[in-house]
Amino acid sequence: MVSESGPRPPRRGAGSSRRALLTGAGAGLAGAGALLLGGCGGAATAGPTTTVELPPTVSRQDIEILTEALELERRTVAAYIAGIPLLPRAPAHAARQFLSEELEHTGELISLIKTSGGHAPPRANSYQLGRPPDAAGVLKLLHTLETMQIATYLQAIPRLSPGPTRAAAATILTVDSQHVTMLRLTQGQAAVPSAFVTGSE
Amino acid sequence: MNGPTRRELLIAGAGAALIAPGTAQAAVGPHSASVPVPERLRRLVQLEMLLLFCYRYVLHSSILSRRAERTLQPFVAHEEAHIHALERQLTARGGRIPSPPAGVAAANRDLAHRKVGGRLGQLRGDLDAIRLLLTTEQVTIGAYFVALTTLQDSDLIELACQIMANEAQHDAMLGLLLPPGKIQAAVPYGLVQGLQ
Repeated sequence: MVSESGPRPPRRGAGSSRRALLTGAGAGLAGAGALLLGGCGGAATAGPTTTVELPPTVSRQDIEILTEALELERRTVAAYIAGIPLLPRAPAHAARQFLSEELEHTGELISLIKTSGGHAPPRANSYQLGRPPDAAGVLKLLHTLETMQIATYLQAIPRLSPGPTRAAAATILTVDSQHVTMLRLTQGQAAVPSAFVTGSE
Repeated sequence: MNGPTRRELLIAGAGAALIAPGTAQAAVGPHSASVPVPERLRRLVQLEMLLLFCYRYVLHSSILSRRAERTLQPFVAHEEAHIHALERQLTARGGRIPSPPAGVAAANRDLAHRKVGGRLGQLRGDLDAIRLLLTTEQVTIGAYFVALTTLQDSDLIELACQIMANEAQHDAMLGLLLPPGKIQAAVPYGLVQGLQ
């Protein structure tokens, strides 16, 4: 079962089948992603307005930053779900694992928002992802979204105020960087082209 | 599960015990915050120097397959760039640049001190070398993770993130060189915080 409800213990070889992803908590995400890749974009669901009392060490800005990151992660999750069926077997297998890890990131961010005294908004009903015509298009889309996430985290992490929250966000950044490396490899590009990950490729 | 999550422990305070992916039980100790920035930078430079020493040693030892050699060769320049960037920050804060390992014996002592398995000079092939480099990369990632809990300067935080992410990319490429050599085995965890 894959859900974004919260952090899970690390595991090796995710092995989550598409069927498993399409059941339970993953079903809504899968439906949204698949529809949108086909171009049927819709308006995002507006989350309820929540008034929360912030702990003294956490600023409202932190919650906004984490919520923005969550939204990007959810978009990437939708892209993986929608794009995996278009990929050949080996990249699809890797992408399924990356999807599972992206879901873990959403859970982590929700947990961070909650711990910071905030309330994660519900995910959108749909995301505009374009119409990748083939596997190469899907890989390009995933590469673009992962790179966007990296750029966002690099901008966001220095603005987060508690150090441990910064470090926690960095544990997501590292994995997104690894995803980009593997996507580049699959695309026939240099896997690690620079000494510094900047999200500006 | 009724206990606090790893993240809640992290938020709750720097003394929280963390379970690192895979094997290590790590702790961001209560004294982390008390390490002055120049000292934190000096430690990072020292660790990067050890990592660079290991890459150079392994690449010159002729024990790598051609594929592994091709993969690892660019990482040397990456580690050099990390060192230069950190040294600039360190000297700007009045810190003294540490010396690189004086030789194999010194590097091995440092590896042992950091609980990295394997010793330079005793590596029996590709896999031994890659495992040693992989663990050293993970220790380096862990050092940046700890540093991020305490650094306050925005530029330093961004630099630490950029390098930490690059080391994680190295980690993934090293993982790909180990059996079964598949992408999903090279990126096995959803959260990477390294080893402390």
